Amino acid sequence: MTELTEPGAPRQRARALDVLGLLARIALGGVLIVAGALKVGSPAASARAVQAYQLLPFDVAAYVGYALPVVEILIGALLVVGLLTRPAAILGGLLMVAFVIGIASAWARGLSIDCGCFGGGGQIAAADTAYPTEIARDTALALCGVWLAARPRALFSLDRALFGY
Amino acid sequence: MSTSQEPGSARQAKIRQAASAKGGPSKVIVGAVVLVLAIVVTVAAVIIADQASTDAATAGGSELPAGAAEMGAGLTAYRDVTLEEGAPTVDIYEDFQCPVCGRFEELFGDTVAALGESGEARIRYHVLTFLDDNLGNDSSTRAANAAMCAADHGAFVDYHAATFAGQPSREGQGWADDELHGFAEESGLEGDALEQWEMCVDEQSHNQYIEAVQEQASRDGVTGTPTVLLDGEPMDLAGMTAADFADAVRGAGE
Repeated sequence: MTELTEPGAPRQRARALDVLGLLARIALGGVLIVAGALKVGSPAASARAVQAYQLLPFDVAAYVGYALPVVEILIGALLVVGLLTRPAAILGGLLMVAFVIGIASAWARGLSIDCGCFGGGGQIAAADTAYPTEIARDTALALCGVWLAARPRALFSLDRALFGY
Repeated sequence: MSTSQEPGSARQAKIRQAASAKGGPSKVIVGAVVLVLAIVVTVAAVIIADQASTDAATAGGSELPAGAAEMGAGLTAYRDVTLEEGAPTVDIYEDFQCPVCGRFEELFGDTVAALGESGEARIRYHVLTFLDDNLGNDSSTRAANAAMCAADHGAFVDYHAATFAGQPSREGQGWADDELHGFAEESGLEGDALEQWEMCVDEQSHNQYIEAVQEQASRDGVTGTPTVLLDGEPMDLAGMTAADFADAVRGAGE
């Protein structure tokens, strides 16, 4: 909290870091909300997308598929409004790490599936797979989570309004 | 906040005030409330989705269409043809609303028919319906049920061909009931057979069979269409010509 009260350059730096925090929140939270919203209306499709990874037992994968869009929207909403930023960022980051592991494992096992990140999912032509792009995107988002877990302070956050940081 | 001796900006003052205000929101309480709400919402969503899935699987009738050995099994076409000895089995997984399946039919439909009619291969169709969930309509299920109703009158292959030929120009547009009826007429159903087909469609007599086929395909790892298995092994259709396809199937039978 000390940089808040220090004058001059350190304060400007803190302000810049707060802006960065806001951008990280919008990036990770925004993507989570969009991804969740695109899937939440079709839980059966979401269940099949998770099943297509063939990582979890078939019936467990269905329940994960039902829950995932809702969890994404909830975590995304917390991040965008900046409420409980640190725990939300940790969960959001872990979600991204789990996605990266899932996608990398599908790739390594030679499956040809769409990640199903924004709806869709399931088998596609081998030439249409986009594993490197999907992994790069989710890694970047996981890094947003790491940043916010380490430094949850950001501009325009409910945390700041409610708890004063 | 003990470090702050200077008044600072108004914003900082507000922040300090909020932080030090007695009876302000406790982070633990806010966290607990959010957590409980999140769990309730998530569990409710899972229960609703699970119930919807059960409802879909138990709606309509549970009759097996002619040509299907059991719930979840593919539909054997060309059943009146005597198979050659050692003829391979070709399992074709398609969703009527899948544009690439329409393309598959365009490219390979005649070849598949020739292989089936000559008894060189056993052709089994697994008509899937997962695109209904992706596209947000019910046309795959209605068309699948209509095709199974046609199968009861030996008209599956013709109905199947008519439906793919009549695919909408845009994916997701689906078919009106009239169009599905038109496909039945195109497949040569008339008189009593057409009336029975209409009843079968109205009652969704084969809905539970169709749901079981979709479920079985997912369990077997078929999550996209078209998927073609030649004696259980997936065929790589990319770049394949109709002649290649026929050669691959005939080769498997030798």
